[in-house]
Amino acid sequence: MIQVFDGAMGTMLHQAGLKPGQCPELWNIEEPAKITAIHRQYVTAGATIIETNTFGANRIKLSHYGLESKVAALNTAAVTTAREAAGIQTKVAGSVGPTGKFIAPLGDLSFDSAYEVFYEQISALDQAGIDYIIIETIIDIQEMRAALLAAKAATRKPIICQLSFQADGRTVTGTDPRTAAITLESLGANVIGANCSLGPAQLLPVIETLAQNCSIPLSVQPNAGMPQLVDGQTIFPMTAAEMANWIPRLVAAGATYIGGCCGTTPAHIKAIRQTIDSLPQQNVPRNPAFTALTSRIRTVSIGAQFAPVIIGERINPTGRKSLAADIKAGNFNTVKKEALAQIKAGAGILDVNMGVPGINQAITMKQAIEDLSTLVDVPLAIDTTDPATLEAGLKAYPGRALINSVTAETERLETFLPLAKKYGAAVLCLPIADNGVPLTAIDRVAVAKKLVALAQEYGLRRHDLLLDALVMTVATDATAAAETLLTLKLYREQLGCPAVMGLSNVSFGLPRRDLMNAAFCAMAVDAGLDAPILNPFDPLMQDVWSAAVALSGRNPQAVVEYSKKYVDMPALPQTTSTATPDILSQIRQSVINGETTGVAPLVRQALTENLTPLVITDQALTAAMNEVGQAFGQGRCFLPQVLLSAETMRTAFNTIKEVLPAHQVQSLGTVLLATVKGDIHDLGKNIVAALMENNGFTVIDLGKDVAPETIVAAAQKHQPQIIGLCALMTTTLPQIDSTIAALKIAGFAGKTIVGGAVLTDSYARQSGADAYADNGVTAVNIAKQLLGS
Amino acid sequence: MPTYYPSLTTVSLDKTRHYASLDHTGDFSTTLLTEACTQAQLLSIPKGVWQLYAYDQDAHTILANEPVVLTADSIIRHLVGAVEVAIMAVTIGLHLEQEVSNLFLKNQYTLGLLLDAAGTTAVEMSCDAVCSVIAQQAAQGGLALGSRVSPGYGDWPIEIQFEVLELAAGASIGLSVTDTKMLVPRKSVTAIVGLYPYHHRISLTNQQALSSDKCDQTSCQARKETNKNDPGI
Repeated sequence: MIQVFDGAMGTMLHQAGLKPGQCPELWNIEEPAKITAIHRQYVTAGATIIETNTFGANRIKLSHYGLESKVAALNTAAVTTAREAAGIQTKVAGSVGPTGKFIAPLGDLSFDSAYEVFYEQISALDQAGIDYIIIETIIDIQEMRAALLAAKAATRKPIICQLSFQADGRTVTGTDPRTAAITLESLGANVIGANCSLGPAQLLPVIETLAQNCSIPLSVQPNAGMPQLVDGQTIFPMTAAEMANWIPRLVAAGATYIGGCCGTTPAHIKAIRQTIDSLPQQNVPRNPAFTALTSRIRTVSIGAQFAPVIIGERINPTGRKSLAADIKAGNFNTVKKEALAQIKAGAGILDVNMGVPGINQAITMKQAIEDLSTLVDVPLAIDTTDPATLEAGLKAYPGRALINSVTAETERLETFLPLAKKYGAAVLCLPIADNGVPLTAIDRVAVAKKLVALAQEYGLRRHDLLLDALVMTVATDATAAAETLLTLKLYREQLGCPAVMGLSNVSFGLPRRDLMNAAFCAMAVDAGLDAPILNPFDPLMQDVWSAAVALSGRNPQAVVEYSKKYVDMPALPQTTSTATPDILSQIRQSVINGETTGVAPLVRQALTENLTPLVITDQALTAAMNEVGQAFGQGRCFLPQVLLSAETMRTAFNTIKEVLPAHQVQSLGTVLLATVKGDIHDLGKNIVAALMENNGFTVIDLGKDVAPETIVAAAQKHQPQIIGLCALMTTTLPQIDSTIAALKIAGFAGKTIVGGAVLTDSYARQSGADAYADNGVTAVNIAKQLLGS
Repeated sequence: MPTYYPSLTTVSLDKTRHYASLDHTGDFSTTLLTEACTQAQLLSIPKGVWQLYAYDQDAHTILANEPVVLTADSIIRHLVGAVEVAIMAVTIGLHLEQEVSNLFLKNQYTLGLLLDAAGTTAVEMSCDAVCSVIAQQAAQGGLALGSRVSPGYGDWPIEIQFEVLELAAGASIGLSVTDTKMLVPRKSVTAIVGLYPYHHRISLTNQQALSSDKCDQTSCQARKETNKNDPGI
């Protein structure tokens, strides 16, 4: 049966006389008859569920009106007014809207505070006797998680969760409908859906996607089209008939709870009711359940029908002293770097272990999860043996995490499985019983079956569970790998849960562990491994993984990706080649190309061939920089390329010094550089310094925000031939004038060059500078001209 | 005041290429660009704050407690039709600019320059994310966001920087202005965004347009909203 919600409350309140700036929920106490009258209109129109006037009746929203102490009173009164109109046939849903604040780390509100705010309101609604809770118009999945968890704790009534999506199909904080469906169904929502922000046309694809990714009922409450502001009033332009015409499509997409949001009226609901009554009974088929993990913005599916995925194991301080020290010191830089690097190396899920002795692992895990959830888009696995740490991580994670791991040992089951159920996590199950590790595949499958049954007793579903086949070392038991591979096959045949396992144990005690691990990985993928936990940085493993996945046939793109990855690899040395250019030409080309690592051996070779540093500098290095400068001037190359050439030149100079320590480079002259007083931007000045230095000048860099008197003092001390001054903003231009004036008064006899974003040639002349340079390359050329070099 | 600290799960390579003036150099090292974008992701701590004010377009006045009268032609023209304005401040913090300086000190000029460009990308992406939140909230009131304009652009003088930062409550996210009107941290943005009646700025993606293309209701409001070429508009 299709349930029909009511329409907008806000629109009706304004029509009934609510003034802008007034608290809508206060009318539950001050104007209850008007609220009841609105509800009654919707009941008469055919709504089977009406929503209480409590959308903003949480402590945070009510505090805008000084009513934060009235949460219970306003929610209770709202239920009373709704009940009065509802009669026996119509159900009452307690409406719960957003707090208006983002939960940390996206905002300042803590998860626990948000939970308490929602718990307070939902408890009041529950005690007042609602039939449903409807959490709606939420734009961030983490706020929805807090509200849903609070609702599950505060009431036993069905909970409807509705997010607001934007025109790009995502919530404002990036959650797509697929990810929302998987996350919220796992977390225990009874109905999920979408409301507000968009009209029915825009919400149709959202509902279609939700339907493809969950099995629970779906709700939709669109706006009456996209709002327009006319003469200072918001107008929602879609007529009742137009809106009703979209209903068959929404029903066909899978929606069974249908109503309206902003701009809809009893007339819209009546038209929707009539359309629904005329529709034949429909049973929209849903996709079979599958295993998936989610981050805030992405879903990764795991199982035989999906591409195998790597779980990166590197965020684990075990055996890594430096990482452990960083974590202990509260420094997560290495953790973040490891996360990004593993993804770049191919990981699709990241394992997070904060097992450092002597720290509060729960606090550390919370911090790590918060940091990583705003940095990476792949789902996370929380790897711990401590229930408090697990709960801290699961609570902080704005998605569906993987718990790594549970065994069949009683204590672990009793603590971990309820947390998995509560937070909607998937669980990696290790078939280890109280009496130890089963050695044969048959025994492992037997324990795994018991584990699956036990997990289901805790309310977990089959597709919440992933199975570890247990990897033992072949150095002590030659059949160990074979038993694991057989276990994988039996898992797939008999249990159907995705298989996950760490690989490296297999090679313990053997030489060339990388070889053994990679070969085992390929065999395991063939036997049914869906997600290996491994070090994605291992180059051999990367190669074998690419090949194994391509061969598995489980990812149609894998062969294409394999081809792309290896087609551009350096070919074998060419046997037919043209004559090799002479060494000076090679060095020159190397500098032009910016080959920072390739130039050093060439310089060494040139020195071995008895070419002097002067010849190398003049005929290769300086010649190259001149060419680069010309190309820059002609718009054939750009600043990053010039800088790369400068870096290469520097490497070449350093190589000469390394080989011939006694060699002295003749300086072209001394240049003193500064960004003027009041100006804190120094990128341009730094670029000039780099180019000057690598073109043979001695550079004295005074930094940024430098007062005229400091520049004068430095000029007197270092006696530079050239002073370069930089100013970026109009507000600091006058400092160019004052500095040049101060230098002249102090009797500075050298030349001044000025530059910076807002400077012009005419301004430079008027300020008394000798030259204006609009970029670093020009500055170098001018400096050379001014010094006659 | 509303605050939002956007996630930065990626820093766009293409935008960074653009800010580094590398649009026309297809052969420049992607490795270095990628490294710069990754570092920007690691070093950025995006924070945004904003305040909404009614706007009197006839008097060119932001109706704050102490009203601010706009005098620059470009910004007045930009806000024609706006009934409210959002004044926003966004920063990615100090770490990135410190690392740029460090890289120059270590003679890694190219990476320094590219990291600076990636920092610009990061702050721009953060501004876009903050604007998405403002837009979502404004849409419920029938208003759509225009494009953002910062002090110093066009003839809107940089001298108003302090007032704009105050209107945005930028100090709450650690932003300040120097006597020379520069923002600290440097990788920060203040801006004004007009909120316009919705019918001026309907803009939907092609994906949404398809829904109505499949539909036989030729005069439906949804079709009008999703098909700009519809003769019914």
